[in-house]
Amino acid sequence: MFMQALGFGIITASILAIGAVGFTTQFGVTNILNLAYGDVMTASAFTAYVANAAGLNPWWGLVCGAIFGALFSFLLNRVVYTPYIRRGSKLFVMIIITISISLIVQNLLQVIWGPQFYSIHVDPGRTVHVLGMVFTTSQLYIIMIAGLALVALHSLLRFTRIGKAMRATASDAELARNCGIGTRRVIDLAWLMSGLLCGVAGVALVMELGSFQSTTGGAFLVPIIAAAVLGGVGQIYGAMLGGLIIGVTTELAAVFINPQYKDVVAFGMLIVVLLLRPQGILSEVASQKEVAA
Amino acid sequence: MSLAWAFYFSTVLVYLGVNMIACWGLNLQYGYTGILNFAYIIFVSAGAYTAAILTLGPKTDGSFQQYVFGMNLPFPLPIIAGGVVGGLLSALVGIIGLRRLRSDYQAMVFLVISLIATTVVTNDVGLFNGPAGLSVVPKPLDTVVNLSLINYQWFYVGVTAVICLIVYWFVRRITNSPLGRSMRAVRDHEQAAAALGKNVAAIRMRAFVIGGVIAGVSGAVLVSFISAWSPGGWLYQETFVLFTAIIVGGTANNAGAALGALLVPVLFLESTRFLPPIGRPGLIDALQWVAVGALALIFLWFWPRGVLPERRRVIRLSTPSGPAAAAEPASADQSTGGK
Repeated sequence: MFMQALGFGIITASILAIGAVGFTTQFGVTNILNLAYGDVMTASAFTAYVANAAGLNPWWGLVCGAIFGALFSFLLNRVVYTPYIRRGSKLFVMIIITISISLIVQNLLQVIWGPQFYSIHVDPGRTVHVLGMVFTTSQLYIIMIAGLALVALHSLLRFTRIGKAMRATASDAELARNCGIGTRRVIDLAWLMSGLLCGVAGVALVMELGSFQSTTGGAFLVPIIAAAVLGGVGQIYGAMLGGLIIGVTTELAAVFINPQYKDVVAFGMLIVVLLLRPQGILSEVASQKEVAA
Repeated sequence: MSLAWAFYFSTVLVYLGVNMIACWGLNLQYGYTGILNFAYIIFVSAGAYTAAILTLGPKTDGSFQQYVFGMNLPFPLPIIAGGVVGGLLSALVGIIGLRRLRSDYQAMVFLVISLIATTVVTNDVGLFNGPAGLSVVPKPLDTVVNLSLINYQWFYVGVTAVICLIVYWFVRRITNSPLGRSMRAVRDHEQAAAALGKNVAAIRMRAFVIGGVIAGVSGAVLVSFISAWSPGGWLYQETFVLFTAIIVGGTANNAGAALGALLVPVLFLESTRFLPPIGRPGLIDALQWVAVGALALIFLWFWPRGVLPERRRVIRLSTPSGPAAAAEPASADQSTGGK
């Protein structure tokens, strides 16, 4: 029972980790709390659905969803967020702007697709038993994708010049600009990467859930934020760890308390973390920064 | 005016009043003090629930709905109790949410609280009757005034108007008082306000609790009118409608908030009722949310201060009395006298 719940937890945790890492990359660099993130996930899932319905293998659908997520996030920043920041909107107002975008995207999806549920058919493959946990092959793929994505991101940030530039921008955008780093390009890249991971997380989520509708991604946003904040905003490894903790805890809570309270546990943990350690478990101080564009 | 129109028109007027009250409360928190309270609708809902159970009467064994503390209080008391509960709950949430957090983290906490509250209320059937909510809440003074249905509608419009006036007077008194000035100082420059000896945390808390009381009153007025309460009617998106109303009407301007309540939740959202039913069910609702989001974006781009912007307040040093005052040019006297 416990091991099985832990197994579910690990799958949820991998999806959460992808989402949380994507969220934190963008939030850390630009300081925009993008509440539309979950709805971009849903939009990517619908892209994958369309690709799948057109005859593509679901895993190619995942690639399509990821590309769509990357482009959509990039455009969202270029067309909406950056112009508002240039116009002098503060951190404060940006939250209202991202929540408007979230409502618009979510409801446009509903206008197009209606309130009913859709599903991307994935062949679950053979079941594999690991230490009393049962996974299907497709679930193992999701866990592997999560692992690969995170290793790739880690390498990018650690071993490349652009990764270094991104870390510099995240810690102090103005100083980075003064040192000759093209922060605009770094920010564009951050949105692209964040969107890519967002797309992967969205498609992986609906593959795992089996069915989805226009509100699915939005509902998954709070656990993602919880994982990102738990890890410390902008901290990639923290977000991975946060994803793991939140994923496993919520699935254990679902089994041992009540499945309905799964989200409440994630929400409660987010609030506790914000109160006790708003800077996250692995982090420097999240100081009073303004939005960067 | 035909009877159906009279019925409709009076209902819309009550909605307008309720939304105006709610907007004033939120404006006090958001416009004046700069608190992004995305859980605002929860306090409206709490006030509504309180008013409902305090008019429903004690629960009997054969009752088809579950609730707690059933009582049968006479008219103004349930509404006052709604305000008190809204305020108490705000104090509780404020202790958690109003810590020294970055404003975006704070907004996140309130958003999450709103989501938790909806989940808990929907699932706890014993306490709040789950998703079904409460119904057949008796209308206040129905048996006392003994009016026909349509006349009762107009009577309730009057009741709402009186409550609106009281709330407006109260809010204006606060925003024009030294407390209101401190609130704006906290909003504009927290460190400066603290440096001048203002207790920032206490001022935020006061704005939050007063806003919560007003939220509770607005919910209580609504629930007594529509006779029903359900958690599905008070989702976090509803808070966003009120935010949009304030942004459109004018942030930190009480008349602006009232105008916003007229423009957004009443005119803008009610007008879709007259559209022919096109497409599948739910399509118009979804389009409506798209439109509300777009409205907020458009106003934040073109008119970020709203239709009725905040009054610019310039504080002049008072002219000294005595011979020096006589030497002042006459225009100075006029400018101080005309306030």
